[in-house]
Amino acid sequence: MSVLPEFRVLAPRSVAAAIAAGRQRATRFVAGGTDLMANLRHGIGAPATLIDLRGIRALRGIVVGPRGLSLGAAVTLAELAGHARVAKDYPALAQAAAAVGGPAHREAGTVGGNLCLDTRCVFYNRGDWWREANGHCLKYQGDTCHVAPTGRRCHAAFSGDLAPALLVHGAEVEIAGPDGQRRMPLGELYAEDGAAHLRLATGEFLVRVLLPPAPWPAAYAKARARGAIDFPLAGVAVALRVGAHGVAGLRVALTGTNARPFLLAGTEALLGARVDAGWCAELGKLVQKQVSPMRTTLLAAQYRRRAASALVERLAVTLADATAASARDGHEMVRQAK
Amino acid sequence: MQPDRHAPPSSLSRARTRAFRLNGRAHAALVADHVLLLDYLREGLGLTGTKRGCDGGECGACTVLIDGRPRLACLTRAGECAGHQVETIEGLADGGRMSPLQRAFHERLGTQCGYCTPGMIMAAEGLLRRNPDPDEAAIRAALAGNICRCTGYVKIIEAVQSAAGSAR
Amino acid sequence: MTARRNAWDVVGQPTPLIDGIEKVTGKAQYTADLPAPGALVGGILRSPFSHARILRIDTSAARALPGVRAVITGEDCAFTYGVLPIAMNEYPLARAVVRYRGEPLAAVAAVDEASAAQALRLIRFEVEELPAYYTAHAARAADAIPLHADKPGNIERAVHHRFGDVEAGFAEADLVSERVYRCAEVAHAQMELNAALAEYDPARDHLTLRSTTQVPYYVHLMLARCLAMDMSRIRVVKPFVGGGFGARVETLNFEIIAALLARAAGGTVRLQLSREETFLTHRGRPETEVRLKLGMTRAGRLTACACEVVQRGGAYAGYGVITILYAGALLHGLYDIPAIAYDGFRVYTNLPPCGAMRGHGSVDVRFAFESLLDAMAAEAGLDPFAVRRANLLAAPSETQNGLRIESYGLGECLDWVERASFWGERHGRLGPGRGLGMACSHYVSGAAKPIHWTGEPHAVVHLRLDFDGGITLLTGAADIGQGSSTVMAQAAAEVLGIRLDRVRVVAADSLLTPKDNGSYSSRVTFMVGNATIDAARALRARLVAAAAERLGAPEEAIACEHETFHVAGEDGREMDFAEVARAALARDGGAITAKGSFTCPVAFQGGKHKGGAVGATMGFSYAAQVVEVAVDIDTGMVTVEKVWVAQDCGFAINPLAVEGQIQGAVWMGMGQAIGEETRYEHGLALHASLLDYRVPTILDSPPIALHIVESIDPNGPFGAKEASEGALAGFLPALANAIADAIGLRPDELPVTPDRLLEALAKRRRERRLARALEGVA
Repeated sequence: MSVLPEFRVLAPRSVAAAIAAGRQRATRFVAGGTDLMANLRHGIGAPATLIDLRGIRALRGIVVGPRGLSLGAAVTLAELAGHARVAKDYPALAQAAAAVGGPAHREAGTVGGNLCLDTRCVFYNRGDWWREANGHCLKYQGDTCHVAPTGRRCHAAFSGDLAPALLVHGAEVEIAGPDGQRRMPLGELYAEDGAAHLRLATGEFLVRVLLPPAPWPAAYAKARARGAIDFPLAGVAVALRVGAHGVAGLRVALTGTNARPFLLAGTEALLGARVDAGWCAELGKLVQKQVSPMRTTLLAAQYRRRAASALVERLAVTLADATAASARDGHEMVRQAK
Repeated sequence: MQPDRHAPPSSLSRARTRAFRLNGRAHAALVADHVLLLDYLREGLGLTGTKRGCDGGECGACTVLIDGRPRLACLTRAGECAGHQVETIEGLADGGRMSPLQRAFHERLGTQCGYCTPGMIMAAEGLLRRNPDPDEAAIRAALAGNICRCTGYVKIIEAVQSAAGSAR
Repeated sequence: MTARRNAWDVVGQPTPLIDGIEKVTGKAQYTADLPAPGALVGGILRSPFSHARILRIDTSAARALPGVRAVITGEDCAFTYGVLPIAMNEYPLARAVVRYRGEPLAAVAAVDEASAAQALRLIRFEVEELPAYYTAHAARAADAIPLHADKPGNIERAVHHRFGDVEAGFAEADLVSERVYRCAEVAHAQMELNAALAEYDPARDHLTLRSTTQVPYYVHLMLARCLAMDMSRIRVVKPFVGGGFGARVETLNFEIIAALLARAAGGTVRLQLSREETFLTHRGRPETEVRLKLGMTRAGRLTACACEVVQRGGAYAGYGVITILYAGALLHGLYDIPAIAYDGFRVYTNLPPCGAMRGHGSVDVRFAFESLLDAMAAEAGLDPFAVRRANLLAAPSETQNGLRIESYGLGECLDWVERASFWGERHGRLGPGRGLGMACSHYVSGAAKPIHWTGEPHAVVHLRLDFDGGITLLTGAADIGQGSSTVMAQAAAEVLGIRLDRVRVVAADSLLTPKDNGSYSSRVTFMVGNATIDAARALRARLVAAAAERLGAPEEAIACEHETFHVAGEDGREMDFAEVARAALARDGGAITAKGSFTCPVAFQGGKHKGGAVGATMGFSYAAQVVEVAVDIDTGMVTVEKVWVAQDCGFAINPLAVEGQIQGAVWMGMGQAIGEETRYEHGLALHASLLDYRVPTILDSPPIALHIVESIDPNGPFGAKEASEGALAGFLPALANAIADAIGLRPDELPVTPDRLLEALAKRRRERRLARALEGVA
């Protein structure tokens, strides 16, 4: 009665047990399953064993403290989106979590799952018959990328919402695996290759995500064709700090446009200036230069490029205005106190 | 115990018994690891109120409640439910009497063809348990993962508002 | 109007669906829910090729697989099927040639899913590929080979209709405009996946098919044809159906395949299609190009219309001939236009076949018409409402192509939406990025000439009364969620003067219910409703006769209301319904069956020109709507903020359901206007999931304020007409016109997805730069 291939499921209760389970052949780690189950239903992959990570205590819980924010990889997106402290201190993160799928996807989907989401492409997320009729593709069982047939790499797009919101806050990830635990900047988890976009060795999995304290004001926005059940055509996070001499800090990260989520390079050139039309145009150009959306969605690639820069500019203006407004309020209060 | 009668022998050999609560009653399921909750409910138990409308996670027609929260039975393995509370549309009517949401969907025409209705009502039920007096924005947010092709959602929103109002 | 509504007890009252409780409690059984212990599992092997000659199909390995009970190919059925007797050119499983990617090549029945899937993988085939055409343009090219030998140039049907003096009309116009509009192909995306349950009894040579259909009778006809079985050996039952919108108004290949498999296996086969397969079996609204030219006087009076329509029809005929005829016929009947020229081309292409979809044939042309009319109104400095009002029809009247207008509430619709939306105060004044647009539309209340002309009535209903005092209403009409069974029960209860819950409806089971052509072209309320009234009157006459005898009064003196029969104008002499029923059963010799029928008179069956029957109906619905949008010019997102819609449905037998139908129609129009479209990559469906075919979610859906106009059609049941299709078409141009109001850009291509809108804005900027540069040069 199953539409799924046969597999068995292990549910380790500790990181060590999960590492041990991961040593077997043909295993896949799973948490909420919103991505993996849909792919398995489409005949993509046939693991012999799934290792369900949600029973491991070390992967649970949201901790906000003086050392920053610590997110368990098995924290659900619904938990994250509904967490009062996260919403207050890290609004971009709550916004990104709330932008995923629909409510039921967020109840199941996890932080770790969203960060390790498989890349997506109109030629890949299809049933068996379809992919076979199309001669398969470079990402799975084939040797041609239908998006760029003359190229030698896969252009499937990373489409998780959380990553950019974490990247602009300088997140690090803690990874466990057969060779022990390691910690690295989130950005280093990813590679610009749709068929191998996660830099995880066999048997490695995400344990926690760690963010430093005192986050800059930040926000997340998502270009999408409809209000829910839509992956980002382009998802952007902006963190912006404005000081007495204009922009004092700027980080921009993007998802949905490339095989990996990434931090925009070269933003330091925009520091020390005021957020005005000219500044926005420069920022927009920087975005357009670095994103490389390809024909992996039904909406045009060129649109995703335009929307990404438009949203980045818009968030930057909104954040600058909010800073200016709170500064005004601050002055007002000081004046009244006098 | 309910054997899973359509599972091929190879799956049965891998089947394990798991205890969970289904629509308020203790339930022991003998089911293989790779069986989806949707298939287990529909084929194993004959609880066909939970509908299949897509090829995996696209439409919300199979929405059930697990521990009171909305989940998609088409992406959930039956085995994941061990130790949890599962509720389906069949469990909502109390002693055969329609729940306030069921009555409101019926009387306000929140249902036309009825195919999205069980999932839609379960998503709304999950909302009203957390937030008995939701505003329109909260209703829209809670039902955002459930596609209806008949109503334009207008009378669905009215039905949820009416059920919330009648409970006040 | 209010006075008239008060004249009724049951009709005109907002009434929850009589089968609604089953739907909200999960008890309603759709085809996939029906218990069938031990049923075999069916599966279909689909062509990976767009166009190919089949050289060989080898099923031996599949047949040899344990657990496989039947394997069939095109060899197993040599009969074509199709909804139009003149255009049956499709085989349930391809024979000799496959014409689209996804066309069934072979099918299996096995003991479980795994075996069925494995068997499908073991089938080998050899083909010789042929050139394939994915656009109407490519298929019409001079060197294109025909998909069907009898249709050179791949033109399934060309229509050339001329009414009035078009040249003279354009000559006398003060303003003539011409523009080309394009609409993407869209699909119904009904929530219930296609499924069939076929039971074959080899001992008796009997077949029972339960299926997701809107037309059980047509399915019955095609099963008999393709299985070469006597119709009396077949039973077709329609269980609960999860929406149709036209997807299921013709027999579909999987229904015949399920039956063929059941017969080959000698048992019961359950065939359930995936969402991807359901999209491949879509029969949606074709990709359409409309070239439209209108002539108008300074006062806004239309003088002439010339319209060319090209539809990319897909690989087989389906309803194609009807669709291309509707597209031209329904240029008439909304406004008074002195001259109309229409050229339509339905083109075969190597894609899944299109068919009928809500608003069949009229929608894309209405988008073009109301968009161009709006642009011309703006150019002439006229208010969009004034232009519509300058061209209203009058009832009764007859259009140039022979359509009869018996009731016409469009003026009232216009008045309401104009007032309710505060059009006068708000149009053109909402500020940057916000706008209001309006448009009108109409649709038929059933085709006055049936597809299969048998000489029988258009609709037949039986009412049965027996010892228990309940009224059983037997109808072949397929309730697919629109609430037709409820309307029939209301009509019967009203005429009989009884409570609604005394009527129980048995519908769409060929073993029990009289034949009905099915639920399409909004025919059911009008035709089956009238047949129900006829049946109820016949039954009432027998009840009245029995009551008259017992009460000792003449029959004409007997009145019945609220389940009481009494002598009119007298106190005291009365009998309750149960007493009268017993008396009637005794008097009539036991259980009573009353029959009612309805036939559209020939006078309503359209003009004498070729194709003149299409568009002909006994009553048109009319709708006007205003749409408010917000346009984000940075992201290209169009947000529909609110809709005001008024529809003349003649009379709302069930106002609750009428509201639901109008809201649903407007909303479905919105889906087509802002986001839905099918896409093919070398003929392979890229949209075949509910992630890629973007049906609007609740977050994308606006409040819809509505008003029902009741023009009381002289021929409709209680005055009722169509209520579920007419408002759809108007949404598309109303949205386009609202975008024009918001940002001064008139979309000529649907859907207005964010990428298309940004591209159009970029194009406008380029054109303006160029214009400025040229000015500089000059």
